[in-house]
Amino acid sequence: MCDNDHRRWNHLKKILERSSPFCHPDFEPGTGILEFLQNSCKLLVVGAGGLGCELLKDLAMMGFGDVHVIDMDTIDLSNLNRQFLFRRKDVNSSKAEVAAKFINERVPTCRVTPHHCKIQDKSEDFYRNFHFVVCGLDSVVARRWINGMLISLLSYDDNQQLDNSTVIPLIDGGTEGFKGNVRVIIPGITPCIDCTLDLFPPQVTYPLCTIASTPRLPEHCIEYVKLIQWPKENPFDSNIDTDDPVHISWIYEKSLERADEFGINGVNYRLVQGVIKNIIPAVASTNAVIAAACVTEAFKVATSCCPLLNNYAVFNNADGIYTYTYEAERKSDCITCSPRKAKYLDIDDTNMRLEKIIEILCEHQQYQMKNPALTIELDGKRKTLYMPNVPSIELKTRPNLKMTLEQLGIADGCKLLVADITNPRAFEIILKIKNNCVSME
Amino acid sequence: MIKLYSLKQHKKDGETPKSGNQRKASAAHLRITKDLNELTLPKTCTTEFPDPDDLLNFKLTICPDEGSYKGGKFNFSFKVGVNYPHEPPKVKCETTVYHPNIDLDGNVCLNILREDWKPVLTINSVIYGLQYLFLEPNPEDPLNKEAADVLQNNKRLFDMNVQKAMRGGVIGNTYFEKCLK
Amino acid sequence: MAVPSPKSPEQSERSRKYDRQLRLWGDQGQQDLETAHVCLINATALGTEILKSLVLPGIGAFTIIDNEVITEEDIGSNFFLTADRIGEKRGSIASQLLCELNPDTRGHFIDECLLKLLDLNPGLFNTFNIVVTTSLHEKEIIDLSHKLWTYNIPLLVCQSYGFFGSMRLQLAEHTMIKTHPDNQNPDLRLDCPFQKLKAHFDTYDLEALDLTNHLHVPYLIILYKHLEKWRNDIGDVNVLPETYKQKQVIRENIKNSIRKHENGTLHHEENFEEAIRSVNFAYNRTSLSENIQLILKDEKLMNLTSNSQPFWIMARALKDFVDNEGCGRLPVRGTLPDMTADTFKYISLQQLYHEQAAKDAEAVYNRVQQLLQNVNLPDDTITEQDIKIFCKHASELCVIRGTRIADEYERKGNADNEISQSLEDPDSLIEHYIILRGIERFYSEYYTYPGEIDEQVEPDIPKLKLCISKLLSEWGCMSSTKEDYIHEYCRYGKSELHSVSSFIGGCVSHEIIKIITRQYKPVNNSFVFNAINCSTESFTL
Repeated sequence: MCDNDHRRWNHLKKILERSSPFCHPDFEPGTGILEFLQNSCKLLVVGAGGLGCELLKDLAMMGFGDVHVIDMDTIDLSNLNRQFLFRRKDVNSSKAEVAAKFINERVPTCRVTPHHCKIQDKSEDFYRNFHFVVCGLDSVVARRWINGMLISLLSYDDNQQLDNSTVIPLIDGGTEGFKGNVRVIIPGITPCIDCTLDLFPPQVTYPLCTIASTPRLPEHCIEYVKLIQWPKENPFDSNIDTDDPVHISWIYEKSLERADEFGINGVNYRLVQGVIKNIIPAVASTNAVIAAACVTEAFKVATSCCPLLNNYAVFNNADGIYTYTYEAERKSDCITCSPRKAKYLDIDDTNMRLEKIIEILCEHQQYQMKNPALTIELDGKRKTLYMPNVPSIELKTRPNLKMTLEQLGIADGCKLLVADITNPRAFEIILKIKNNCVSME
Repeated sequence: MIKLYSLKQHKKDGETPKSGNQRKASAAHLRITKDLNELTLPKTCTTEFPDPDDLLNFKLTICPDEGSYKGGKFNFSFKVGVNYPHEPPKVKCETTVYHPNIDLDGNVCLNILREDWKPVLTINSVIYGLQYLFLEPNPEDPLNKEAADVLQNNKRLFDMNVQKAMRGGVIGNTYFEKCLK
Repeated sequence: MAVPSPKSPEQSERSRKYDRQLRLWGDQGQQDLETAHVCLINATALGTEILKSLVLPGIGAFTIIDNEVITEEDIGSNFFLTADRIGEKRGSIASQLLCELNPDTRGHFIDECLLKLLDLNPGLFNTFNIVVTTSLHEKEIIDLSHKLWTYNIPLLVCQSYGFFGSMRLQLAEHTMIKTHPDNQNPDLRLDCPFQKLKAHFDTYDLEALDLTNHLHVPYLIILYKHLEKWRNDIGDVNVLPETYKQKQVIRENIKNSIRKHENGTLHHEENFEEAIRSVNFAYNRTSLSENIQLILKDEKLMNLTSNSQPFWIMARALKDFVDNEGCGRLPVRGTLPDMTADTFKYISLQQLYHEQAAKDAEAVYNRVQQLLQNVNLPDDTITEQDIKIFCKHASELCVIRGTRIADEYERKGNADNEISQSLEDPDSLIEHYIILRGIERFYSEYYTYPGEIDEQVEPDIPKLKLCISKLLSEWGCMSSTKEDYIHEYCRYGKSELHSVSSFIGGCVSHEIIKIITRQYKPVNNSFVFNAINCSTESFTL
């Protein structure tokens, strides 16, 4: 580090090189930690929107040197009131790329690598690379996907002990108007997104019959045009493009007509846009607050300089400023992270036929199944191996019974998804095949 | 708390990860497999999977054996999303039907498909709900208002219209294709 | 196919850019913001973070007062300074980089020491809507507080210190109309239906309705009919159900009036279920909240002059309305929650509330006109639209009267109640307010911050402790602060962590927006943030 860079970090160095009564027991003050932040620690920011821009700035300013950012979106004019790494000229460019370029120029000690794609386009090997992940998303589905991915990367040893080196912490922030929340998730140890799914507010849906025959609210009229009138009249020979002002205008006019017909007040262009695009209000200040809280936790995760948030904080500054932190609990039967022991099935070799596998599952001391349905993921695509209780599928998958694992493309380590009435849920069984390539010998 | 900093010091870049670590099946896949393997269809219903490897998209046929719609045959499409069971499946009626709760575009007004959906419900619950709509069409909260009005005011005429529609015919301004079993 | 001619309102670039926030504070709030001028003293990391979240939503102008030059340390915490500008004027570069965020905002910079400005050009401060400061010393805080108090300009004193931060708001008087309360009871008037509403209720005979209509009666009508029935049963035409038991009787009555199938099972009548669920709040007596009663008793509205604020003139008209036409009640709000019903029944009911609200607002408007005449103000001082908004939000009006920051520094001998009370609570963050004050005192005595250089951490601990106990004894407080925390603050040695500043910056920006737009209630009046466990607390000092 040159002298400038050295003094640049004086603020952080005081925290990282001095001990204190409040730091974590594992904390060893010294120059190595800043070194680690700058050179070794690699982290991923998911989302380069309102939270993402703030996250990147805060991470760069807190000494992190190797940051990746992933976002599939391009910049829209309505982003500019809070996504401060973007300018008018950047509209329609990749969020991830513009954000990365801005940070790299403004903060030379930080290298941001952009990924302009869907999170689903990246493989496990990509995600496994990071020390931890910070999430700034507005979608529950995407959050759950990342959560599921990090949990699937966990590995356990033969005594079912979690291998700590496979744990990739997830720091998740979310905002809506003047409200926000921050949480720290240590996969396999603290509650995951799916443990606390009920914390997400349910989406407002109106009964279809109200929309169709007894509308009362302007929203009912707009939903009518969206759900019933558009598919029927198909005005532009395409699905609704919520970014196309011509489409929104059409919906606006038709909604207005319908509202007039029923004597309903309050349809206006802003409301139509809000309903059709499911717009969540957003301001710069809330994003700043929530991203900052996420990065403070990221800094603690990386340095152990003081204890982590345990494990959930909510924020609301509509009336005064209010925060509340509490310890969310793991759901013992969480479909994603419940500490079920990984299940294994020992198989001698890949010449075994599928029907034999089913027989083993039924006779096996541990499983004792009745009539299992089996599917598997091969080359990223799910394949139904056998499903006894659905006649049309049974017929089509019956030939699989006579095929060998090798013929079906199943190898050691494959995860068999099994559903059977003997278990309240479907689960996966990892195949351990002793002799993986008999035919090749 | 886990010791990330000290722990990750040991994790060198380029270290080969453990092999055989396949991606875990999604919650939607786990649930739909379970749901389907435990379908107990009423004898009036059959399912059809155009692609047996794709359990998330399938068809349902209902052939009511009593009530106004006896003798008819009605097809539905099911689309199960990645957020299942936190979101309901999307169901559309693919047969043009003269029914107070199903409009001519195939939209179905069934509470558990929208506002009353809960993750504990299954594909089975939806199928039973759909079947019930054919046994007890409900004129109070209609999607097809004309059909509802007729049902409310003149049950005999309603039944006649249903029969006419199922045989293939015009009611009001709408042509209904034949859908007899 | 034919494309309809575009009749849609063309959306301006401005309303598209600000769409996501217009949904929160509306066009009026945005206009208030765009005509406001905020002054920042010291472009520290916290200072620029505050301005960032004001420039982005489109504040009209800012002025930075700062006479420091950029150091290497600044670069490590402040995103709006760059390494190639080290040695240049901090306020100038910060202003430049902040202006890049939004071409709608004008940025100014004054390279001058605060105390000198206060001395030579105090009138300058009168040109701002609000002044916000970071990293000030005791004397600066006291002088600025006095000056802005006399000008009635809001002042926010902020700091970011290690894992902690604070904000103190000084406001002489602040009035708000749209406070956006989170859960507000609907204004239904079941206990005192206005004439047309009562007539409307009386047109219904629930038992005579056919099934379809029975299924689509708004629950309000069901509730009213059952209130009448219950009153009849107990022989008192004015009583309202208040106890759980009384409400339970009505719930049972409603349940028993749900229609039955031929086989005796209940029809699924969503509207009756809604009625049962609403019994708990819908029969509340229509009355004035304590807060509104206080506002209507305020001496500001008793003695109106031509200098009176429109708020107080409208409040006076409101009081007169309540005392006369309103029969002790506020104007009807005019909004009806959604409820299961067919379109016609719902819309006709909704219209009645709407019309009554318009009628009440007109009565208030006439009173306002009279009041304006009495104090010789032009009659367009307050518009009809202003009155409509005022009446619609009459139940959520709010007035805050603050205290002077300088008093906290100059008052000796008597401990502030809030401080000594909060000190009793082991979880209270008040301790950090005291330590931060102790650090200011430390600087006044030693011209350095505790732990600023490595060798000074240990020796500064007892020195800081002494400063704090001196403060506490000046206030007459017996308690002391925890030794551990004093050590922790010496560890920080005035380090400013970007993510802590960004958190406080976001909070402070929004308080400024609340004050400028007069929407949503600001913190009254002090706020502390603890980043170690992500907690905050507010105090009234």
